[in-house]
Amino acid sequence: MIPRIKHFLLFASLWIAAAVQHAAAQTHHLYVAAESEDKVYQISFDAQTRETAVRDVITVGQYPTENEGPHGINIGLNGKYWYLSIAHGNPYGWLYKFRTGTNEFIARTELGMFPASLEASAATGLLYVVNFNLHGDMEPSMVSVVDPGAMTVVAEITTGIMPHGSRISCDGRHQYHVSMMTDELIEVNTAAMKISRRLSVTPPRSRTAPSGPSETPVKSPAAKPTWADPHPAAKLVYVANNKSNEVVEVDTDSWSVRRRFKTGSGPYNLEVSPNGKWMVVSYKGEGSTGVWNLQTGREAAKIANSRSIPHGVTISPDSRYAFVSVEGIGGEAGSVDVIDLEQMERVAVLEVGKQAGGIIYWKTTD
Amino acid sequence: MNIIQRLLFLCLFGALLTITAAAAHAQATDDYRLVVTPEALTLEIDDRVQLSGHIEDRDGAVVRDSVLFYSYNRESVSVSSNGLVKALKPGTFQLRAVAAAPNEERLSVTIPVEVTRPPITDITFTDTPGHLYEGTRNAIDLVVTDAKGFRRDPSEVTFVSSDSSIASMDDWGRLYALKAGTVRLTARAGEAAASWEVEVRPNPTAMLELTHHANDARTGDVIRFIARPRKASGDIVQDIPIDFSFTAHPGNEPAEGARAQIAEDGRFVANKAGLYTVVARAGNVAAEQTIRVDARNIQKDLRIAGHGLVNEVHTSDLWVWEGIDGRDYAVTGTWGGNGEAYFWDVTNPSRMTIIDTVTVDARTVNDVKISDDGRIGVITREGASDRKNGIVILDVRDPHNVEVITEYTDGLTGGVHNAFIYEDHVFAVNNGRRYDIIDISNPRQPETVGRFELDTPGHAIHDVWVENGIAYSSNWDDGVVAVDVGSTPAADSPEHHDIGAGSFSNPVKLGSYAYPNGWNHAAFPFKSRSTGDFYVVAGDEAFPNGLYVKDKPTVPAGWIHFIKFEGGWDNPREVARYQVPEAGTHNFWVKGDKLYVAYYNAGLRVVDISGELMGNLYEQGREIARFLPTHHNGRIPNAPMSWGPQPHKEHIFVSDWNSGIWALEIQD
Repeated sequence: MIPRIKHFLLFASLWIAAAVQHAAAQTHHLYVAAESEDKVYQISFDAQTRETAVRDVITVGQYPTENEGPHGINIGLNGKYWYLSIAHGNPYGWLYKFRTGTNEFIARTELGMFPASLEASAATGLLYVVNFNLHGDMEPSMVSVVDPGAMTVVAEITTGIMPHGSRISCDGRHQYHVSMMTDELIEVNTAAMKISRRLSVTPPRSRTAPSGPSETPVKSPAAKPTWADPHPAAKLVYVANNKSNEVVEVDTDSWSVRRRFKTGSGPYNLEVSPNGKWMVVSYKGEGSTGVWNLQTGREAAKIANSRSIPHGVTISPDSRYAFVSVEGIGGEAGSVDVIDLEQMERVAVLEVGKQAGGIIYWKTTD
Repeated sequence: MNIIQRLLFLCLFGALLTITAAAAHAQATDDYRLVVTPEALTLEIDDRVQLSGHIEDRDGAVVRDSVLFYSYNRESVSVSSNGLVKALKPGTFQLRAVAAAPNEERLSVTIPVEVTRPPITDITFTDTPGHLYEGTRNAIDLVVTDAKGFRRDPSEVTFVSSDSSIASMDDWGRLYALKAGTVRLTARAGEAAASWEVEVRPNPTAMLELTHHANDARTGDVIRFIARPRKASGDIVQDIPIDFSFTAHPGNEPAEGARAQIAEDGRFVANKAGLYTVVARAGNVAAEQTIRVDARNIQKDLRIAGHGLVNEVHTSDLWVWEGIDGRDYAVTGTWGGNGEAYFWDVTNPSRMTIIDTVTVDARTVNDVKISDDGRIGVITREGASDRKNGIVILDVRDPHNVEVITEYTDGLTGGVHNAFIYEDHVFAVNNGRRYDIIDISNPRQPETVGRFELDTPGHAIHDVWVENGIAYSSNWDDGVVAVDVGSTPAADSPEHHDIGAGSFSNPVKLGSYAYPNGWNHAAFPFKSRSTGDFYVVAGDEAFPNGLYVKDKPTVPAGWIHFIKFEGGWDNPREVARYQVPEAGTHNFWVKGDKLYVAYYNAGLRVVDISGELMGNLYEQGREIARFLPTHHNGRIPNAPMSWGPQPHKEHIFVSDWNSGIWALEIQD
């Protein structure tokens, strides 16, 4: 019996070592948009050597001498295409479609004012793009619903003021975004293409916002939420309250705030790791990134970014690495900071174009 | 069974499970079917139809009835998410139905929709003359409408002449009057028809007088040929159409291009020197005149008076002014850099140096402007790290020590690409959408007092220039737009312009002109000193071949358009152009009767725009001088990319995207 156990342990050790070795040997591929460069960078990170590389640079937009601002980026459902929102147009922004890998331009369609974050629904197959309308009047904006095959807008859903963040539940049935100037989390029923619920995320002691739907800006929004991300398994949504320096955990069953996490300055984007363990939050106001243990509700680490103004977060499917885009200021290059979520440290930095913003994980290769 | 055997068994079992699961998934995709009723639609406009859909299993049992419908062509055929269809416009379209099967597989079907065109119900002849003259060619105008009131293309109409020996139509919709008599012309489309009876009269013209004023004509001069058809009695035939044509008598230039052109109203301009015979025809009566045109011979040299190399970053716009100390200064912006504006002492252009640098939170300082009194500067911001952008107001009384007075971002967060200072107000092009009018009489507390935005679909704006209370904006597809923001009697404008219709807080649109290429990028008003004619000069910007930020030169496209508003703001007409082949325009300036163009890869061009303008001035010898600014150490070496010109005192300054600022002097 003992030799059998020894054999088993030996085999298990070898298997685990092989698995670890395999994970360490993986190369992670991503796309990141440089908003003040009108370029998208296809990049990679070799987990074994910790070397990063720019694989391709894709120039985007129509007016070369003007800054059109690539902002939101995401991979389509089947992984064959990536989609990019361009903030500035005439005057409306655009959604561009490219083939992954070759980065061949496929098509584009006009959206609303400053289209920003986007994601596709597994339930409907449609893309849901929030129109941030960052520099318009304080008026309700829209979520554009796009058929990604035809690259045609098929519906426009009126929503809050300066909506941002567009992330969809794993079952594809609900899209979540925030209304920055009305301090709301908004849930869209993707199949009905209608808003199903709204929730004020204003901190309790400063609550001045109406609890119902709001079409006028809160006089002085206390939360200014900028991002929402549903948990990959639990019925929870996390909201980054950029102004009140907190992340709000919303229970989608009871549609109420369950926990509030006091964060670093200016939480902007966040993502929950695919294993549901970590929540990685970019602290735009202080140039660092927070890693939260969602089980304990405590910040496990705060890691300084390579430069100021961290922006987007995306996490590898194995929940091992977080990739954070960092904008920089002025002529400074933007970057992608790679954070090892086991060692809780920044393990690589790759410089890309100015004002690196939208970032999305593409694929893993051996 | 030992451990290895067990593990092998487990692996095999696991593999078997995987294969089984995959097979079940593949089966599942065939287990359900999305059914939409009806499967296809043929509708008439305004028809409404309810679609229904469900998912059924392989036995035909309905397992789900929740289906999402949407339209690929919402403006032509709409559908609610639950399937209520309405036909809006004729054509062939597609609807889409999507639903999730019980196994979470997403199913979809396409529903083709044919919306039939309504029948044409009305045809009307318009502007029909009472009679025609034998031997003339006449345009026929029709208005064609269908049962839903939509205007239809007259090409759907066929014509029949009751006597084609008297008058007949050609394939291009023109009626030829062949001999005297009465004829009925019938236009028909489907069940709709209209008739017009017209008399063809004998041509009363006995003699055609053809006159001109072509004394000492040079290439580029517009010569007006006037034809007067007279009866035998000497009376003028008022209503007979005149056709003009010409023949050129080439000199010794082999195989050259078009030598001249003539307009329908008899205006003629020659591109090349030589003899020309102009022929006028009224029916079967013709007259001709031969004229001589000499070369314009106005070409001069440009001398480089100075150069300030900027090669760490691309250079954008410039402004040159006389400072309050009497010396001359310039400011240049930077593109895709670190948010810097450079101030230069250009009093002696041969020793141009940067005397101060202002750095703001931006990636591009695209535009730089200085107030008329030389005290206030405004620079525009794009790519600010806080995305608030806006403008920065500067104290430039001492250009050696420029100070930031304030940043102003209210409502300007989308980025300000261009700006203009006029009477203590800044016109800031806001997010390419509109311009905001900002009172800077107290530069420490700017205040937005007005804004102007078009209401056309997908409108945009690129630049604005203000003179004597009229703002001339350039608006890409919407062309140039003139807006009264408090016009004064000195305003360059058409004769029929009511002074002071608008104000800073109440801008009033006067007129506009859009041209087909949609590249309108800049606009400049111009009243010709030599003729008194009022033009708005419009410039393009286009990069059909892309823009290269480093490594190699760019070949842009576009030209300068000359637009006249004869008879008022409602009557724009494009009369001439200046187009350098295989190059593209950027900013330009008009002073006197000279046009200064920063023609990107074609460098600086100085053009004679005196006299009446017609045709392509480039081909007429109207170019006075040219200069290609290049530098071997430029941002892109040896690649001219001229951005903006400005004549100032005896020099012409030009900023170049790749090589900084240049000062030039015209040599007689």
